[in-house]
Amino acid sequence: MSVNLKMKNFRYNRSFSVIGNYLYILPFMFFFIVFFAFPVFQGLYISFTEWRVAGQPIYVGLKNYIELFHDRLFYTTLKNTLIYVLEFFPLSVIIPLLLAVAINRYIIGLDFFKFALVAPMVVSVSAVGLIWKWMFNTTFGLINYYLEKVGIHGPNWFMDPKFAMLAIVLTSLWWGIGWNLIIFSAGIKNIPQELYEAAQIDGANRWACFWYITLPNLTQTLLFITVTGLIGSFRVFGQVYVLTNGGPYDSTRTLVFYIYDNGFRYFKMGYASSISWILFIIILGITLLQFKYLKGWGEQQ
Amino acid sequence: MRRSLSLSSIKWVEFGRFFLLLVVALVMLVPLLWTFVTSIKPEALTLTYPPRWIPEKITFENYREVWSRASLTADIVFSRCFFNSTFLAIVTVFLTLIVASLAAYAFSRLKFPGRDFIFMVVLSTLIVPGEIILIPLFMICYRLGWINSYNAVIFPGLGGAFGVFLLRQFFLTIPKELEEAARIDGCGSFRILITIILPLSKSALAALAIFTFLGSWNNFVWPFVVLLDGSKMTLPVALAQFLNTGGNWSVYGKIMAAAGIASIPPILIFMFAQRQIISSIAITGLKG
Repeated sequence: MSVNLKMKNFRYNRSFSVIGNYLYILPFMFFFIVFFAFPVFQGLYISFTEWRVAGQPIYVGLKNYIELFHDRLFYTTLKNTLIYVLEFFPLSVIIPLLLAVAINRYIIGLDFFKFALVAPMVVSVSAVGLIWKWMFNTTFGLINYYLEKVGIHGPNWFMDPKFAMLAIVLTSLWWGIGWNLIIFSAGIKNIPQELYEAAQIDGANRWACFWYITLPNLTQTLLFITVTGLIGSFRVFGQVYVLTNGGPYDSTRTLVFYIYDNGFRYFKMGYASSISWILFIIILGITLLQFKYLKGWGEQQ
Repeated sequence: MRRSLSLSSIKWVEFGRFFLLLVVALVMLVPLLWTFVTSIKPEALTLTYPPRWIPEKITFENYREVWSRASLTADIVFSRCFFNSTFLAIVTVFLTLIVASLAAYAFSRLKFPGRDFIFMVVLSTLIVPGEIILIPLFMICYRLGWINSYNAVIFPGLGGAFGVFLLRQFFLTIPKELEEAARIDGCGSFRILITIILPLSKSALAALAIFTFLGSWNNFVWPFVVLLDGSKMTLPVALAQFLNTGGNWSVYGKIMAAAGIASIPPILIFMFAQRQIISSIAITGLKG
């Protein structure tokens, strides 16, 4: 009897503490649901509506998506985003990887190098934009001045559709390589030193060490960097807004810029939402492909 | 003979590595230095050809003007924006630490039905681009009357999964024996969190605090969308407004002073907490 009572009490305490345990996640889950999960689904619904900021959303089915298919500016922004990703993303992986290998072994002034390579990362994107607008200034900027010194006549960066996106890519690289550099450095530090020592005894040169030891041991790190980095590069906006404002002739207008334009300049909330869902589907598709192929590649090594 | 040859070739490789790194490091530093140099020149001497690295005259007039007078744009005063940025960053850090450590503790240590499933759902949102909620979140804040309100910047961020993830990863590394001993002594789970888990997690909490501060200080798209009034703007938003208000693009001394005001606090934080920041980014990357 008393054992039974004890059990009951125990159960009661347990179930009480289980409810108590939920209380710990309650504040977070509240904000998560109200300001994240719910808006995600609401955004999907909004993309099937016509909605000016004032008033109610009107359900219009697939109209926004159909309109997108015929929207030439949408294709332009999609193309610009892909150009940016194709130019920026590979460099944003390769440069930090090489730098991480270079600073991995002992070097005089390591802290200075780390500071110089990583510090731009902590500058806010609009300050980055202003700084580089000044750097790329056609007449008084440092870039064209030094280009002139080595015999190249610098272009009018932000007025020339051929060069505007390149300027944005260079700016983004300056801003972004620090982050990946840190992650690569950490990945390289985790590789057991014995592997290199064994390889050196076998007479392997540095290139062989990099190719057969460093790289295969970095597959996890590479997966993380390519997944998060690619998502990040598809989201490019702030630099563009400050540097070129989408110009010249829409040659730097990106998808997120177009979402911003539609939502907050033309107040076409439904249309803007449909663009953001297209962006999400692209990102999701690429992420899944990366997981599939990079994971397979990692297991092969 | 062979040996000495290979030795000297190693030396050359080492020298090459150092030299290349030095060049890259200087290239990376030039924009920051040039920003500073431009900002301390008198406005009349900023537009010179060839560019001058050593100013003929040093002045802090640009900083003073940007800081205290709304001279550049209609209603933006940088001291006010500096206050907004600082206030929002501190409040966000404080609330994020509370909300995230409670949730991370539950996800790592406490048992309840659906725990791991909920955590997986939360975690999977890390790959969802924030732009997807830009419009609906704006409409929610609009209906709540939060446009031009600090609330719109503070509260939505508290639902972010990053902090919970970071702290959970760290809490998992704390040995369970410590809290089991406390539990036998009759400690409740909340007391265990306060007296055992949190004091042992100072480094992770500091990392999250620094990240959150930098993230909030530099946050651009969302504050840019919801803070439209000059008196409520944060520094990054105010900087971007130079364009919209037809700001005069030849006043580079003032523009660089403004960029400097926005960049000096994060760069100082980075200088003093460099190792902390680097090691915590590394942790997230490795365990991601």
